Amino acid sequence: MLIFAPVKIVTSLITCITSLLTLLSMPCFAQVSPVESDTLATRQLEALIVTATRNERTMGALPMPVSLISKNQIRTMGSLRLNDILTEQTGLVVVPQVNAQGNGIQIQGFNPDYTLILIDGEPIIGRYTGSLELSRIAVGNIKQIEIVKGPSSSLYGSDALAGVINIITDRPQGTRGNAAIRYGTNNTLDVNGDIGFTKKKLGVYLYGNRYHTDGYDLSPQNFGNTVSPFTNYTLNSKITYKFSPVTDLSVAGRFFNEDQVFRFEVESNGSRIRTAGNGNTQDWNFNPVLTHRFTDKLKAIARFYSTHYKTETYLDLETDGSRYYEDDFRQSFTRPELNAEYYFNEKNILTLGGGYINEQVQTSRYGDEEQRSQETSYAFFQHEWLPMEKLSVIAGGRYDYNTIYGGQFSPKLSSRFELNNKVTFKVSGGVGFKAPDFRQLYFNFNNSAAGGYSVLGTEVAIDRLAELDVAGQIQAYLFDPAQLGNLQAERSLSINAGATVEILPLLKMDLNVFHNSINNLIETQAVAITTSGQSIYSYRNILRAFTQGLESNFSYPITRHLNLSLGYQLLYAKDKDVSEDVKAGEVYWRDPNTLVTKRLKPNEYFGLYNRSRHMSNVKLFYNHQPTGWEGSLRVIYRGQYGIGDIRGNIQGEVIPPSDTNSNSILDVYDDFVPGYALVNLSVAKTIKHSFRFQLGVDNLFDYTEPVLIPNLPGRLYYASVSYSFSKKNVQP
Amino acid sequence: MSLIKSILSLALIVGFTMAFVSCNEDEDLLPVVATTINDLNADYAPYESPLPNDRPPLRIGATNKFTLFSFKTGAIVPNADSTSSNWDIGFRSTTIIVNSGTSGPGTTTAQILNGTLTTIIEAPFDGYKSDDKAGTTPAERNAIPAGSGNGWYTYTGSTNLVAPIAGKIIVVKTGDNRYAKLEILSYYEGAPASPSPEPAGADKDRYYTFRYVYQPNDTRIF
Repeated sequence: MLIFAPVKIVTSLITCITSLLTLLSMPCFAQVSPVESDTLATRQLEALIVTATRNERTMGALPMPVSLISKNQIRTMGSLRLNDILTEQTGLVVVPQVNAQGNGIQIQGFNPDYTLILIDGEPIIGRYTGSLELSRIAVGNIKQIEIVKGPSSSLYGSDALAGVINIITDRPQGTRGNAAIRYGTNNTLDVNGDIGFTKKKLGVYLYGNRYHTDGYDLSPQNFGNTVSPFTNYTLNSKITYKFSPVTDLSVAGRFFNEDQVFRFEVESNGSRIRTAGNGNTQDWNFNPVLTHRFTDKLKAIARFYSTHYKTETYLDLETDGSRYYEDDFRQSFTRPELNAEYYFNEKNILTLGGGYINEQVQTSRYGDEEQRSQETSYAFFQHEWLPMEKLSVIAGGRYDYNTIYGGQFSPKLSSRFELNNKVTFKVSGGVGFKAPDFRQLYFNFNNSAAGGYSVLGTEVAIDRLAELDVAGQIQAYLFDPAQLGNLQAERSLSINAGATVEILPLLKMDLNVFHNSINNLIETQAVAITTSGQSIYSYRNILRAFTQGLESNFSYPITRHLNLSLGYQLLYAKDKDVSEDVKAGEVYWRDPNTLVTKRLKPNEYFGLYNRSRHMSNVKLFYNHQPTGWEGSLRVIYRGQYGIGDIRGNIQGEVIPPSDTNSNSILDVYDDFVPGYALVNLSVAKTIKHSFRFQLGVDNLFDYTEPVLIPNLPGRLYYASVSYSFSKKNVQP
Repeated sequence: MSLIKSILSLALIVGFTMAFVSCNEDEDLLPVVATTINDLNADYAPYESPLPNDRPPLRIGATNKFTLFSFKTGAIVPNADSTSSNWDIGFRSTTIIVNSGTSGPGTTTAQILNGTLTTIIEAPFDGYKSDDKAGTTPAERNAIPAGSGNGWYTYTGSTNLVAPIAGKIIVVKTGDNRYAKLEILSYYEGAPASPSPEPAGADKDRYYTFRYVYQPNDTRIF
C-alpha cells in the first residue's frame, strides 16, 4: 500500500504539470533561442550557477548572494574532504557537532542543521545528530561547489534556512583519466582515480577514492585518540546517454563505506571505564535524470533520487569484553520530481515543479526497531522577469505538505538592479523552514553512557511518561506533559541586501548585509525526574533568535597570474528573549571573584554560543600556466567565541562552559575561546600537462586548543603526485 | 554671569537641605547592615567510594535534615527547634524552605525578585508565598521554587555544577512581620571562583555563602 500512494501522487503531479506546460507551449511565437545558449554565447567566460534558480544562470546575473569554488581552486588548495574547502570560505565556519566531535557547517550564524547540502541537486542524508558530517564527501570528482546564502526553501523545501551548498560533480567529457596519491601527517593516505570517456551518444565517468588516517590525539595524557583511526571508500559513477539532440539521460550513483576503530574511556557517574569498539557508516544513492526539450521554449526534467544511510556503533568493555554500548541508525530518502522551464520570451521565464518525498528511519534509539516514516508532497514555481536590461526580478514559492507537521508555504522574492557598469545592487527576501526531524518526534533514548538521562520525542513522550508513571518510576514532573506534542516546523524570515562595486579597474568588492529572524526553534525541555534521579527530556518550540551581519569580499588580480582576495564577516547572533530581558534590565552578572552582582547592560550581551563576531580571510593564489607552477597562501581568522554546556566529552576531558558569572548567557565578562588564525600553504608543479607534484602544509604554526577545539588538528604536512591524460578531440 | 552663579548656589542650597532632611528621616530607624554568612553547611555528605557504574552515587551519612536560620538572631537554629517558630529559612542541598505550611509551624513567607541587594530598597507589599502551595511540579510547591532555572540556581549536567543565578534576590517576610533580603553567592565551600565539584573535582557542595540585609524595624524600606 505504501508503494502505491506515492506513485499515485506523482502520477497526478506529472499529469498536472505536463498539461499546464502543454497549454503554455501552444502559442508558438517566433523562434527565440533559449536563455542558456544566449548567455553562453555572450558571456562565455562567466561561470554558470545552477543552484540559485534550478537552471543554469550566469553568476553575475543572479539577484541573491552566491559564491562558487572551482575545481582549480580546490586542487591548488590541496583539499581532500569537503570540510577542508568550506572552512576557508568567508562567513562559513566548520563547527563540531553535539558531542564536540565531527564537522558541520555554520552559515550566517545558523547551526549546521539549517543548511541544505546537495550533490548534483539532491540532498545528502544521515543527519544522525542533526548536522551532516562533511568529511563524508571526497572532493576529487567535484567540478564546482555552489553556495547560495539566505533561505532557499522556495525551491528546495525543508532545511534550506541559512543557505544551500550544492556540490556539482564531474560529467563525462571527452576521454580522460586521472590517478593521484597523497600522503601526509597522521599516516593519512589518500588514493583516488577517475576515468571518463564519451563515445557517440554514450558518456561514462567513474571515480574511486580510498582515504585512511590514523586520526590524531590532542590529549596524549588521556586514554584513546581525539579522533580515532578510520578508513573510507567512495565510489561514484555517472553514465550519460543522448537519445536525440533534445533528449538526455544521466544516471548517477554513489557508494560510501567507512570503518572507524574506537578506543574510548567513558565516564559513568564519576568513574572511568575503558572501552573498545567499531563504528561503520555507509551510504549509497541512485539518481537517474531525464531531460527533454519539447520545443525551443520548453524544457522538462524528470528526476528520481533514492538514497540510503546506515551507521552502527558498538563499544565493549576492555576488562571482560562484554557489550557496553550499542547504537544503530538507518535512514532512507526517496524522491521522484518533475520540473520544467518555460521560456516565454527574453523577458519572462517560468519554472514549475513538483514531487513527492518518502523518508524512513529505523534506529535503536527509538526504543524499538520499528520503521518510522513521513511523506511530503510539494509543488513550486519561479518566475524570472527581466523588464529591462538593467533590472531583473525573480519571484517564487513552494508549498510542502507533510503527514506530520502539515503544510508550509515558503515564498521568496529577489531583485537585481544594474546602476551602471561599475555598481550593481541586489536584494532578496524569503521564508525558510526546517521540519522537526525524526529524533525530535520519535526519540526514546536512554543514554547510559553519559550519566543516564532519557530523551523522548514528542510523538512518544506522553505515552511513555504515562507508562513510567504507572510503573511508579516518576519522582516529579518538571513540566506539564499535556503541553507537549504537536511540534511545528522552525521558520525563518530573512533579508539579504548587497552590492557589487568595481572600485578600481579589476578591483571588485562584494558587500552583503543580512538579517534572519527565526521563530519556533525547537529546544529540549526537561519534563520529569525519575525515582533514581535521572532527568527525562523532550522537545518544544520555545526559542526565538535572530542573526544579522555583514559580509564583504574583495578580489584583485595583482598580476595576470597572482590573485589576492580578502573576506570579512561581521555577525550578531542572539536569542530574542534574552535580548529583551537584558533590555528590560532583568539580567545580572556576578563577578566570580568578588561575588559582587551587577546589572548587565544591553551592549554587554554577546549572543549565542559558538558564534564569532568577526571572521576574515586573506588568500593569495598563484597560477602560471606556461611553466606549470601554482601555489597558494591562505590565512583564515576566526574571532573569539563562547561555548555552552556540551553534553558528553572527548577523552574524559570536561569542556568548561564559557558562562562563568552565573547568568547562563554569554556576556562580555565571560570566558571566551580566544580568536585564532590558521596559515595554510601549498605549491604545485605540473610537467608536460600530465604529471603534477604538490607539497603543502595546513596549520603552519601548529595552533591547537586540545580541550576547547577538539576538531582542530595540529600542523599537517602532505605531498602528492598525480598523473592525468585527456583526449578532448573525441568530444561529441 | 552673576545670575547663573546665584541660580547655581540656590540649587546647591536646595540640594543640601534635601539631603539633610532625608538623613534626618533615616535616623528614625535603627541602622540596617548587610551581613555575609560563609559556608553554611546544608547537609554535606561525601560520595560513596568506589563510585558505581550503573546508578547515581549515594551520599554517605547525609542527615536529610534542613539547616535552619533566623534573621533576628543572625544565627543557625538547632534542628531540634524545627517545630518552633524560632527559625525563618532552612537549607538542605539545593532546596530552600521557609517556616510555613508544609515546612514549619510559622507564618514566614517569601518571594524571589530580580535585582541586587543595593537596587532593591523596598520590600514589596504583597506577592509573598508560603510553602504549602499545591502544584503539579516541585517548582510550584515551595515559596522558593525548586529545580534548575526555576528559582535561585541553575544546574549543568556535564560539569555537575550548581550556580546561583545572578540577580535573584529572595525577599522574606518573617512571622513577626519583619523583612529581609538575601542573595545566595555560592553553593561550594570557600566560595571558589570556578568551582570543580565532587566527585570529579575537589570542591564540596551544599555549603552556602549568602549575603543578607535584615530590617528589624517595622518598615518595608531596607
